[in-house]
Amino acid sequence: MWREISKFGKKMVQCGLTHSHFGNISVRVGNRLIITRSGSMLDEIDENMVVELDLDKPSSFDTIASSEAIVHRHIYKETSALAIIHAHSPFAIVQSMVSSTNLLIPTDCESKYFLHEIPIITGGVGSKELAKNAAHALKDHKGAIIKEHGPIAMGKIVEEAFVTICSIEHACQVKYFTDILLQRKR
Amino acid sequence: MFGWNGKIANVYLTEKKTEIVPLSEKFLSKYLGGRGLGVKFVYDLVKPGIDPLSWENILVFATGPLTGTTCPTSGRYAAVSKSPLTGSIFDSNSGGSFGPELKFAGIDGLAIYGKAEQPVYIEIGNGKISIKDAKHLWGKNTREVTRELSKLGRVACIGKAGEKGVRFANIMNDYTHTCGRGGLGAVMGSKNLKAIVVKGDRKVSISDRERYKKYFQDITRLLVASPVSSKGLSEYGTAVLVNLTNYMRILPTGNFRFSRFDFAEEISGEKINSVFPIKKTPCYACPIACKREVRNTEMEVPEYETISMFGSSCRISNIQTIMKANRLCNEYGIDTITAGSTIACHSELNGEELTDKKLLELVELIGEKEGIGEELSQGSMRFARANKRPDKSMQVKGLELPGYDPRGVLGLALGYATSNRGGCHLRAYMIGPEIFGKPKLVNRLTFSGKSGLVQVIQNLFSAVDSLVVCKFALFSVGEEEWANILSAVTGIEFVSESLLEIGERIWNTERLFNLKEKFSNKDDTLPERFFREDGGVAGRNIKKEEFLESLLEYYRFRGWNRKGVPTKEKLARLNILN
Ligand SMILES: [Zn+2]
Repeated sequence: MWREISKFGKKMVQCGLTHSHFGNISVRVGNRLIITRSGSMLDEIDENMVVELDLDKPSSFDTIASSEAIVHRHIYKETSALAIIHAHSPFAIVQSMVSSTNLLIPTDCESKYFLHEIPIITGGVGSKELAKNAAHALKDHKGAIIKEHGPIAMGKIVEEAFVTICSIEHACQVKYFTDILLQRKR
Repeated sequence: MFGWNGKIANVYLTEKKTEIVPLSEKFLSKYLGGRGLGVKFVYDLVKPGIDPLSWENILVFATGPLTGTTCPTSGRYAAVSKSPLTGSIFDSNSGGSFGPELKFAGIDGLAIYGKAEQPVYIEIGNGKISIKDAKHLWGKNTREVTRELSKLGRVACIGKAGEKGVRFANIMNDYTHTCGRGGLGAVMGSKNLKAIVVKGDRKVSISDRERYKKYFQDITRLLVASPVSSKGLSEYGTAVLVNLTNYMRILPTGNFRFSRFDFAEEISGEKINSVFPIKKTPCYACPIACKREVRNTEMEVPEYETISMFGSSCRISNIQTIMKANRLCNEYGIDTITAGSTIACHSELNGEELTDKKLLELVELIGEKEGIGEELSQGSMRFARANKRPDKSMQVKGLELPGYDPRGVLGLALGYATSNRGGCHLRAYMIGPEIFGKPKLVNRLTFSGKSGLVQVIQNLFSAVDSLVVCKFALFSVGEEEWANILSAVTGIEFVSESLLEIGERIWNTERLFNLKEKFSNKDDTLPERFFREDGGVAGRNIKKEEFLESLLEYYRFRGWNRKGVPTKEKLARLNILN
């Protein structure tokens, strides 16, 4: 299972979706979840850099898991997700900071079709509030952006979550440049 | 003067005299307090080659500039002496409330010289110190002594083990807090000193209250945000580590013959939480509160180190038995790591599996120094030597290794080998970076990059042990925050670098003491077992060439020569007179 996480961890960093020290990836297997460790580098994941947790009851292993493990756990409990990725992709963060509403509407055709809309949610790193808000948003969206922090996306497989992360970043980037050009025109 | 009291009490037991002498701000800002202060005194005043259990040894209790403030985890003090277990300079560090009380009594510490003719205890009130008769306390264990003296103040004392000279006897304060490991309890016993009781009501003065408040909040915020301190340690205590180290195959099992214990789950933090109702018993000013006991029973929950030694290393899977052994150790005032490791060594040597009953019997025999306990009370190095199998003692410089198999945490392996007080994890807690990923996760299975890191962390810990704050706070709070709050308290400007430099000064002073005691680079090593055997994980034995290369690199980082001796330039730069 760590191989799948490792593969997409590398891709995330290569694509500039996150710097290697930030972000986390997890996979659900039955009532267990396998998640990247606290302090691990996403482009250097091997089997020692992930940790397996029980979905229902926290244990000592939570102390070495990514500090967002609590958020992942909550999403798995509340949704049909089997894989989750969280990244610190820059354009998504920028859009979450300048948006005046808590719903971002993509402007490009592909993202519009694929994502419809992207909720912007709030909550501190590893907090119960964030866990609750993220699980709520992902009940009927593929992904969301944590305000001032970065996107979080789910899927049936890691690749599906990865596509959503890419798509969110793409939508935010397109919107960013369009907004600049439109403003210049005015 | 702010932060410090600027005073130390000298207690001359032979002459039955006491005096209070001033300490200058210049001196204190060079060594801070706690470990640094004690190390400087012991280095200057203890003559090389003396018997640590003779009147010639001295014993220093020292608080630091932060002790007794409200700064998180600042309820600590250090005891420093020459160790009867290792023969090295030795500082122990303990929490509870005894340290702050010393500070409230208007002194920064006390230095104890000579030997009393009869059993005595020292009583410290505000500005007054007296030597009192302790005949009625002699022969009693720590809980009873503490209870009897506690009407007079906070108590640090020894049990029977300290009286009888068990080489790893502890000093116990506030019932369950320990100055552990190096046998400073036996030093106390050798001086016929049963206890110290202290009471004070002076507040620690703070130079800049506004700044202090800000840094106080910074530190508190960081402690709350870190899952290791706010969730892991707070929820399970240090027992959080049992399942983790077992999973990573670094849980010492059967005297380090193996690295995984089939019954780890049975002795884990999770197990303890599920079986016992837990009450937290935090140290003074500590929001982490890792210390725990079983509700309504006064039964202490053992620390991870204790569980790993009496549990997996002795192959005992009954947590109740481990708790009883721990309790016995606290009563007698015995170090649990050395006791557990020495018993595990004994068990390997005679080829017998330990039973729960036998384990408890052996602990008691050590405490009483009776039967086989007489031999075991010398520690595993002397015991194994006497039995012609020195290789079966899992020690460095005479101090038994704690609960992490060095083969699976190579930074810690280097930390064990280079520690100034022998096989210890608390000189540079590499478990932070190598296991918890704090402050940054590093690959635990390589020596690469470790030598630089180990020496920086050793320097940092030396400074932190002198403030005195808790090492567990270092998972989330770094040198910058400590330097800030220290500046606000004392009114003297410290920055990260100055704190690390003080730490380096302390480390080098300790090294010089040990070199005069005939320790050399040959002692900066590990038990042969770790080079020869793999502990059950194929290929994991430590490669000697890699280890030695890393050790030489460490000396270079330290500014020492290839023999591990500090160079003149280094000592001059650190302002140490040799
Ligand atoms: Zn994040």
